[in-house]
Amino acid sequence: MFPISRRAALAGLGASLAAPAIVNAQAPAKTSVGVLRLSSSGPVFVAAERGYWRDLGLDVELKYFTAAQQVPVAVTSNDAEFGVTGLTAAFYNLAGRGALKIVASQARDEKGFPLTAYMATNAAYERGLRSPKDYAGKRIGITTTGSTFHYMLGLIARKYNFDINGVTLVPLQTLPNMQAAFKGGQIDGILAPVTLARALEADGSGKILAWAGDETPWQLGALFTSPRAIDTRRNVVERFIAGYVRGAADFHAAFNLRDAAGKEIYGTNYAETLSLVARAVQQPTELVAQGLPYIDPQGRLDVGDIYAQVAFWQQANLVTREVNARDVIDLSFVRGHMNVPRG
Amino acid sequence: MSDRPVEFRGLGFAPQPVRYAALAAFAVLLAIWEYAGRAGLVSPIFLPPPSTIAKALADLWAQGLLLRHLSESAYRLVFGWGLGTFVGLAAGFAMGIWSVSRAIGVPFVSALFPIPKISLLPLLILWLGIGEASKVATIALGVFFPTVIATYAAIDAVPRNLIRMGQSFGLPTSDVLRKIVLPGALPGILAGFRISSSIALILLVSAEMIGAQYGIGAFVLQAGNLMLTDQLLAGVVILSILGLAIGTGLGQLEKRLLRWR
Repeated sequence: MFPISRRAALAGLGASLAAPAIVNAQAPAKTSVGVLRLSSSGPVFVAAERGYWRDLGLDVELKYFTAAQQVPVAVTSNDAEFGVTGLTAAFYNLAGRGALKIVASQARDEKGFPLTAYMATNAAYERGLRSPKDYAGKRIGITTTGSTFHYMLGLIARKYNFDINGVTLVPLQTLPNMQAAFKGGQIDGILAPVTLARALEADGSGKILAWAGDETPWQLGALFTSPRAIDTRRNVVERFIAGYVRGAADFHAAFNLRDAAGKEIYGTNYAETLSLVARAVQQPTELVAQGLPYIDPQGRLDVGDIYAQVAFWQQANLVTREVNARDVIDLSFVRGHMNVPRG
Repeated sequence: MSDRPVEFRGLGFAPQPVRYAALAAFAVLLAIWEYAGRAGLVSPIFLPPPSTIAKALADLWAQGLLLRHLSESAYRLVFGWGLGTFVGLAAGFAMGIWSVSRAIGVPFVSALFPIPKISLLPLLILWLGIGEASKVATIALGVFFPTVIATYAAIDAVPRNLIRMGQSFGLPTSDVLRKIVLPGALPGILAGFRISSSIALILLVSAEMIGAQYGIGAFVLQAGNLMLTDQLLAGVVILSILGLAIGTGLGQLEKRLLRWR
C-alpha cells in the first residue's frame, strides 16, 4: 500500500466533491475476455484474481465458454473484446477475413510438458503401433477436422515424413465419443488431453505412446482481439495485454521451472497459484497439477509456427486461400516475439 | 319474406392452388438477402449472400464431392428410415389392435421418445461401433417412436362402426384388418411418414457425428467446425432440397394410395 498523507486524502476528497466529472473519467474502463475453464487460460485467472487489471484501471469481465470454437466467434460477434484459446482452422478462417488479430501468446507445447498424448489401443499396440511414427496408414480418432489434434497429427506426419492423407482421420466430435470408440477398439489410436490419457492408461484401455510437447513443440494458443478494438481502443488493449502478461509471468514462475535433469521445480507461490487455477477451472488440484502447460512469461509468440499453421490448413484445403498469416497477427504489443519470418 | 333463392354463402376457406406465389416470395427474399450482402449491410461472415452459397455448392460439385456426400447420406437415410418405419409400423399396429400390447407399449414410448438420441451416441458407438450400423441405428431410433404414435393413433381414428359392421357381417379378422383398418388408418400413417422423414433428415447430422468422413451431415458439421459459413449454408440448402424432394414424393404416394377418398 502507498502511504497517503492526510492532506492528500483531503485534497482528493475535495477534488472529488468539486469535480465529479473527473472522478467519472477515472472510473475503470470496462472490457471482457472469453475463456475456457482450462489451465492454459491460467494467466487470465491469475491476472483477474490478483487484481492486475484493476491496478491498470480496467474492469475485466470473464466470459466462460465450453468449446474452443466458441471463443473466436464470441470476439467476432462482439460478445467479448478479447479471447484466449487454442488455434484452430476455424480461428484462421475468422481471423483471415479481418475479424480477429493475435496479440500475444497463450500455451505452447514444449519438451517436458505433457499436455496431449498420442495413444494406441491395446490391440493396435500388439500389432505394432508403438510410436507416433507408426500412425501412417492407421485410423486415428480426433475431435473435429481443423482442431488442434488434427494439426498435431500433421506435425507428426511432417516430422516422420509420411503422408497425412494416408492416415484415416475419424472425426468423432466429442471426447466421450472418442473414448467410446477407443475402448471399443474401433480405431487404432486417438490424441487425448493429459487427464483423459492418464485415465485411459490407468484402466488398461490403451497405451500412451508419446507426448506432443516432446515430439513436436508448437504454438498451441494465443490471446486475440478484434482489429476494431486495436483501432479504436488501443489504450485499453495495451493495458489488457500488460495485465495478461503479468499473469503469464506469475504462471511461468510458479509452474514452468525445470532443473538440469528436466524435473519439475515448485516455483514462486506454487501452491497458492495452483489452488487459484484449480478454483477457476473447477477441478481438483491434483488433476490440474498433472496438466500444467508451458506459458511464455512475456507473452511472446512463435510467429514462424503461426505461418506454418496457416500454410498447413491451406494445403489441406480447410482454410481459404485469401488468408494471409501476416494479417492475422499484430506484433506491436509484445516485444521479442520469436522466430519472426523476414519480409 | 321474398321467395328469391338465397345465394350460396358458405364458401368456407377452401384452399386453392396458387401456382407461383411461393416461388415469387422466395425470389424476393433471395434478392433482398443478396442485396444486403452486396451493399455491406450484413457481414459475409455472419450471413453469406446467396451467390456465395451457390459458389460453395458449385465448388462441391466441381470437386466431385457432392454426389459422394449425397450417396453416403442416402444409404443411411434409406436404411435408417426404412428400419425405423418397419419396426414402428409393426409395434404401432400391435398397439392399435391389442389392448395388452398397448398397455405395455404406451408407457414405453412415453418414456423413451423424449430421450435425445445424440446423448446416446457414446453408448451406440460401444454397442455398434463407428461403422454404418450405429449411424443407421441413430436414425432408426429417431424414426421409430413417431411412427408408432402415428400408427396407433391412426388406427384409433378408424370409425368404430365400420369395424363393428364388418365383424357383424362375419368378415374374417384378417379381412377386417386388411380391408377396413389398414385403408382407414393409411391417411394418418402417411401423415406420420411426413414427420418421421423430416426427423430422419434432422438426425442425419447427429448420426454423422459418429466418425463419418462423407455425408451431408458430416459436411455441415465440418463446415461449422471450420467456421466456413458459406459451406455451412450450402449444406443446409442441400438438406432443405432433400426435405422438399421427400415431401413431394410422399405427396405423390398419398395421391396414389388414397385415391379411394
